[in-house]
Amino acid sequence: MNLFAQLRREIFAFFVSPIAYVLLAAAMILNGVVFVLIVQFLSDPRAPHGAAMQMMFGGTIFFWIVVMVLTPIITMRSVAEEKHSGTLETLLTAPINEAQVVIAKYLAAVCFYVVMWLPTVTYALFLSRFSSLEVGPILSGYLGTLGVGMMFLALGLLCSALTRNQIVAALLSFASIMVLFTVGIFELVGQGQQGGSVLAYMNLWSHMEDFGRGIVDTRHLVYYGSITLFSLFCTVQVLEARRWRG
Amino acid sequence: MIDVQQLTKRYAAKTAVDDISFEVHPREILGFLGPNGAGKSTTLRILTGYLAATSGRVTVNGRDVFKEPGAVKRATGYMPETVPLYPEMRVEEYLSYRAALKKVPRARRRKAVDSTLERCRIGDVRRSIIGQLSKGYRQRVGLADSLVADPEILVLDEPTIGLDPNQIRQTRELIRELGCERTVILSSHILPEVEAVCSRVLIINKGRLVGQGRPDELRAAMTSREATIELEVRDPAGVAAATFKAVQGVRQLTDPTALGDNVFSLTLKADPDPGVRERLFDATVANGMKLRGLAARSFTLEDVFVQITTSEAPAEEPAAPEATGGAA
Repeated sequence: MNLFAQLRREIFAFFVSPIAYVLLAAAMILNGVVFVLIVQFLSDPRAPHGAAMQMMFGGTIFFWIVVMVLTPIITMRSVAEEKHSGTLETLLTAPINEAQVVIAKYLAAVCFYVVMWLPTVTYALFLSRFSSLEVGPILSGYLGTLGVGMMFLALGLLCSALTRNQIVAALLSFASIMVLFTVGIFELVGQGQQGGSVLAYMNLWSHMEDFGRGIVDTRHLVYYGSITLFSLFCTVQVLEARRWRG
Repeated sequence: MIDVQQLTKRYAAKTAVDDISFEVHPREILGFLGPNGAGKSTTLRILTGYLAATSGRVTVNGRDVFKEPGAVKRATGYMPETVPLYPEMRVEEYLSYRAALKKVPRARRRKAVDSTLERCRIGDVRRSIIGQLSKGYRQRVGLADSLVADPEILVLDEPTIGLDPNQIRQTRELIRELGCERTVILSSHILPEVEAVCSRVLIINKGRLVGQGRPDELRAAMTSREATIELEVRDPAGVAAATFKAVQGVRQLTDPTALGDNVFSLTLKADPDPGVRERLFDATVANGMKLRGLAARSFTLEDVFVQITTSEAPAEEPAAPEATGGAA
């Protein structure tokens, strides 16, 4: 199965690049610092009642910094690098089609994203030694993290396919992720006004608050899924259109 | 085997390939010859399914490249001009990945990689990281990649560019060897290469097909129009130019170059008639000159190439055929 061969190659490409280790280290440091701050905050007797892992997912801006800044870096080289070095030509003249290439690249990015979050599982294990832990909200928190991440990665992949410059790809995907994120925040500004419910549907911040609390709202997942599929579809179209532009 | 019909590729501003039609037969080595920017690479990219043509049709074994790219890609091994490779991979890893991508079954993959490594003489760098290889080795890794799935058709874009003379010779040998068992299409702007390797040549200029045939046919087509004769004579009296101009069949004469000691060399353009050389000999003797050398220069493909690709400008100077009766 050559899709599998391509997926292996993509995962290999991630883990031989120094960027991968910078990303993993950055994610571990950021998440670690956030976790320490949260635990310190909650152990203050005057602090409001709350669960640490719930605050971890969507309770603070730090979660969004990790997701929004790091996902564009995960996907930036995916297609742009192949365009830049010309390997797209050998890749697409092998018996594999554009859709398979996009799927392989996307799955590899998702794998990397999952690996990036894996260390945070130890936080939950750590907490469980000192307090009783509700497993449900933690799982739904991870589900939300995965959903949002998959959406951002798909957008990032599309941006990477649009250019041959990795930096441009990263900036472009960061900008589009910011737009996606900010649009939802406007719900808070224009409360009660027309279109408020549309904005609420797109409010990623409140989505993650829900997931962190253990609420799995399928509407949120449908939203992420739609944007993800649409982005991937566009990525395939961009790659196919290259045949005409030359 | 490969049938190209009225292929045209237009970019926004320019036409890269303009209405080209040709066929490629099984087990021939077809050379695409043309100056840089003539449309060779674009044509090859369309053949391999990387680009779509603006109009026209390419079929490989009866299958349309545009409609069934998968089938065509499986039958074809392609090495682009820039030989793009993944610098972070090891040679062996890269070839194994490419073999898997090209659907070589797992059981045969190892053997395919090993035999390709050997064939392209890169077995000694199999564990090396591609990014650290020299240009010559990278070129051969690219060639190995195009061969690893044992394709019927091999498309090589400028396969010897950037190699040293020894490597060029080895690569040509390999290509000739490969041509015995499969169809090879290669492009080049280096004439001796095409002449040495290819069984048939297509000459492309500014996106158009301007000539095609076997190398010797193209050469014959040139020589039948005009012969070039080189002469070296001792001419104490200084009558050479006037004498030779008067010989029947001589069209044009370049000014004699003095080699010292009254010896001159001259180049003549003449009718393609062997008799001209005999008359030149007689004229030399009859006018008190001593003949040191007389040779008909055979045309190389280079002459054909230059002639065809520059033919838009009026290349022929008005020759002065001052034909008088025989030797005076």
